[in-house]
Amino acid sequence: MKDILRLLDLFRPYRGWMLLGTLAAILTLLANVMLMAASGWFLAAMATAGAAGVAMNYFTPAAMIRGSAMLRTGGRYAERLVNHEATFRLIASLRVWFYSHLEPLAPARLQQYHSGDLLSRIRADIDALDNLYVRVLVPVVVALASTLIFGVFLFLFAPVLALTGLLFLSLAGVVLPLWSQARGQAPGRRITEDDSELRTAVIDGIQGMAELTVYGVTERQAQRIDDLSRRLVADQARLSSDHGLTLAAVGLCASLSLWVLLWLAIPLVRDGQLLPPLLAMLALFTLASFEAVAPLPQAFQLLGRTLTAARRLFDIVDTEPAVREPPGLSPQIAHFDIAFDRVTFGYPNAARPAVADIVLHIPEGTRAAVIGATGSGKSTLFNLLLRFWAPDSGAIRIGGQDIADFHGDDLRRHIAVVSQHTHLFDATIRENLLIANPDASQGAIEQACRVAQIHDFIAELPEGYDTWVGETGVRMSGGQGRRIAVARALLKDAPILLLDEPTEGLDAATERDLMRALDRLMVGRTVLLITHRPAGLDWVDQVLVLDQGRELAHGDVSVVPQATQAALLAVGPTVEPRHVTERDA
Amino acid sequence: MSVNTWLKSQRPLAGNALALTVWLNTANGLLAIVQAWCLAVILNAVIFAGADLTAVQSWLWWLLGLFALRAVVVWFAERTAFGAAASVRVALRDRVYRHLQRLGPGYLANQRSGALVETLTKGIDDLEGYYARFLPAMTLTMILPLAILTAVLPMDWLAGLVLMVTAPMIPLFMILIGSGAEARNQRQWKQLARMSAHFLDVIQGLTTLKLFGASRREVKVVAKISDDYRVSTMQVLRIAFLSSAVLEFFATVGIAIVAVFIGFRLYGLALPVPPWLAVPDVTFLQGLFVLMLAPEFYAPLRNLGTQYHARLAAVAAAEQLIQVLEAEPAQSVPGTEPLAARRPLGVRFESVRFRYEEGRDALQGLDIEIPPGQRIALVGTSGAGKTTVVNLLLGFLTPTGGRILIGAQELSRIDLEDWRRHLAWVPQQPRLFQGSIADNIRLGVPEASLDAVRESARRARADQFIAALPDGYDSRVGERGAGLSGGQIQRIALARAFLRDAPLVILDEATANLDPESERLVQEGIDDLARDRTLLVVAHRLATVRRADRILVLDRGQIVEQGDHATLAAAHGLYARMIAAYGDAGQGVADIQDRSKGS
Repeated sequence: MKDILRLLDLFRPYRGWMLLGTLAAILTLLANVMLMAASGWFLAAMATAGAAGVAMNYFTPAAMIRGSAMLRTGGRYAERLVNHEATFRLIASLRVWFYSHLEPLAPARLQQYHSGDLLSRIRADIDALDNLYVRVLVPVVVALASTLIFGVFLFLFAPVLALTGLLFLSLAGVVLPLWSQARGQAPGRRITEDDSELRTAVIDGIQGMAELTVYGVTERQAQRIDDLSRRLVADQARLSSDHGLTLAAVGLCASLSLWVLLWLAIPLVRDGQLLPPLLAMLALFTLASFEAVAPLPQAFQLLGRTLTAARRLFDIVDTEPAVREPPGLSPQIAHFDIAFDRVTFGYPNAARPAVADIVLHIPEGTRAAVIGATGSGKSTLFNLLLRFWAPDSGAIRIGGQDIADFHGDDLRRHIAVVSQHTHLFDATIRENLLIANPDASQGAIEQACRVAQIHDFIAELPEGYDTWVGETGVRMSGGQGRRIAVARALLKDAPILLLDEPTEGLDAATERDLMRALDRLMVGRTVLLITHRPAGLDWVDQVLVLDQGRELAHGDVSVVPQATQAALLAVGPTVEPRHVTERDA
Repeated sequence: MSVNTWLKSQRPLAGNALALTVWLNTANGLLAIVQAWCLAVILNAVIFAGADLTAVQSWLWWLLGLFALRAVVVWFAERTAFGAAASVRVALRDRVYRHLQRLGPGYLANQRSGALVETLTKGIDDLEGYYARFLPAMTLTMILPLAILTAVLPMDWLAGLVLMVTAPMIPLFMILIGSGAEARNQRQWKQLARMSAHFLDVIQGLTTLKLFGASRREVKVVAKISDDYRVSTMQVLRIAFLSSAVLEFFATVGIAIVAVFIGFRLYGLALPVPPWLAVPDVTFLQGLFVLMLAPEFYAPLRNLGTQYHARLAAVAAAEQLIQVLEAEPAQSVPGTEPLAARRPLGVRFESVRFRYEEGRDALQGLDIEIPPGQRIALVGTSGAGKTTVVNLLLGFLTPTGGRILIGAQELSRIDLEDWRRHLAWVPQQPRLFQGSIADNIRLGVPEASLDAVRESARRARADQFIAALPDGYDSRVGERGAGLSGGQIQRIALARAFLRDAPLVILDEATANLDPESERLVQEGIDDLARDRTLLVVAHRLATVRRADRILVLDRGQIVEQGDHATLAAAHGLYARMIAAYGDAGQGVADIQDRSKGS
């Protein structure tokens, strides 16, 4: 119930639309009932008048029939148009609402979610919310309003008719919906979950097809998708069968209502309390009036699915970001020195802190390297510096200002990251580059690409910078994609440069060229490099060696050999920067 | 094949449920005629014959029976309609996904996976309306109006004539209005696919967007794409609503004319028809019966109009499905022979050519010899064609010229499934699948015991960090490893390869992302693995290839040098230059830095 109220709150901006749509729906329904009732009466009255040979005014009823027929046709068109327009506007705004809440959670809080699951939420779950508006909210109001009018109308003829009419209407409009809601809850929840699982399995099956194929498990994935597909259909079949049952039941209610009406009204006609033509009118009126409640059972059946979808959206929306944005404006930065001051941080549910008591000061315009094995906490330092996470204790300062006082985006504006893990988007090379700086000129773009050693390659492509990269860069070789990502970081032109194994996976010549280019770029910037290779670090001003999140050594590059010999990093003669290739000798 | 023919040709997938649906709905329609007659008789008796309850009681009981019968028929019709569409959907989803598997990664590289996901999920579901509603509705428009005419004509041929004349107007106007709908519907589907593809891309790249401060900017894009989708959806719906309004209008006009014609005659007024038309007289009973059937006459036509939208949605989805199903696998005639060669395997490329597209030659007459049991390294600058060689060997791509021999057998003749059973592969960016770490290592050997999994993880030097995770081997991982570092994912992928006891092992940059300690350990593991196996190592970093029996140096799609490390290093060729470059990398930077500081 709380979720429903929250949803209704989200609908608030569209209440004007909704009111209009509901009014149109009520009008349409009443016109339709009037059309049927008037036609029945008209025909019977004409016949009795004709048989008795008395004159009657047939212009007024004929005009009523014409009027209500036109009103019904026009009203239904208007009602559908208004309600659907409102729904789709609402849904479009909900996607933006959801994305705005999703965005602050990345990357820290989203690690546990599969992209297929998130895609399911922003696509299918938001779509499912339209049910609440078009199928539940509007029809319920319409049913309430028109049932009231019907009751009054029947009461005018005989209270007992009003009583039985309302009885059957509420049987179809209250009992059946409640029954189908109860029956629909469990399958509705399962459908939402299976739908998301199916999407996930299909994404895994498509994006991971190469590995599945080589490892000979394509059959298993196909089987899994088929199983999910069947599971989904089985639950939908359950709902569909219930839907058919309620459909039949509403029809039966209408018929029974008519049947009982005949039992009750025929004696009234006999006693002269009811004019004979009115019997024909009441009969057709009764059948038509059930249109008011007919959509309700299915709407309530889908309520389970809708509420599960809403729950899944609220789960994301209610997640606290890992980092709380400070109130007020971010401070201005005059200097770009970086200071880690006794920084300790552990990931949730981790046995030990990822980094502990880290102290590191990088003066403006100098270069520092953090080295350590996989899992030593290097990447954590980046995550903290980028404010993707916040330290448990200690502080990180840039230019003397605690970064906790910055809005994440304001802070990251000053930082460019060159990493091996950046995502290339499914767009052209140019669009991928412009992400860093939407206003960059062609000249600036080419300059960045030259530095990243990729301009010549792009220039040779038939479509040049307008070449489609393809998803996650599948159409480029690994090295080419990396260099485009590097160029993108260069284009950002920020005073702080974070390098995360920037040359990993590049061939030696490219690596050398890229390092040379990066070197030019590093002039005047504050640079922090993280690497697991202790080799070739003579160009940095200081080195911090990490082991399991703690400082193992700190100083100029000469501390590296001692540290690596002392600890885990000791792997023989790996620290001769000139002779990397001799490592295995 | 046109989309319509294709949709129709899938009908057998529904079994006899479709026919049963039509039968049940026909029965329901016929029962409606009987019901109208019963009702007319009762009302006529009470209004004109002054009958009381006892006189019409038996009719009332008949009516009750009819109501119950119709309710049961409606229920069953709904069930069978759903069942018919459900069988089609399940069968097609399976078929389309399996076809994608046959097309393989080579085909997928040029597709947007978000759009394909949409086709396989929502697209297939959109077929529901076509098979469950539209097809039965179409058949019913041919049956029920005829049945009603048969009942009406003997009573009052004039009313029958009115029905017959007005009925064709409905499909006529529908076609007129609907002609523009198809294109708009197609556009709507493309918007939807675009929206999904975009959302998937954004979700997977959200961290990157954040790094560039572009994630807030993206709000506008999300708003625009969602709004575009709304606009194109409403364009389609407006037509659907307009066409059903027109339908309703004609049906109403038809019913009104019937009512007026009957009413006038009952009242004794002259009808506005030519005098030579001998108008039949009607009784109230006949008139009421005919009037009650008039809406039933138009109902199937109106229903068809309502379901026309379902048909459009299905057509749009079917076009995407056909596109996938009509794509041919790269190797048009799949090989059928089992792999003849026994372990260890030898591989030979004979003047193999490959081009991705016109003007984009990747390989130009490549000759490679990988003798059985040897360890061969493939090095070269990025973009030289290393990954293409691997993809050819894996059977994802087919050479555009030359041939690949496994032993003495041509790869194109070998059953690829059998071939791949003899391969283990670690790609550059391994993917983890939804499931536990153990499941991920077990990928190629689902029945492997946990001990075997542990053993291969140990050999891949992954055992330690996995054991340190809170849930150990049962830890759930997502697609990008959810919290695992690149090096850790790499080692899980290596464990996967270790577990699969394959005679040919292909490592594409398998030791990238590893720190020296792990790299050395993994290298030892690979040495282990290489025993009695053929090993192809693709590498950028030359340190990892020194122990190879032979090093092939690839440049612009051709082998420019080959030999062992010592020979090549001494040869002053590309390889020697690469070694020099590598050894120089750190120093070069330092030199420059000194210079730049000096200036």
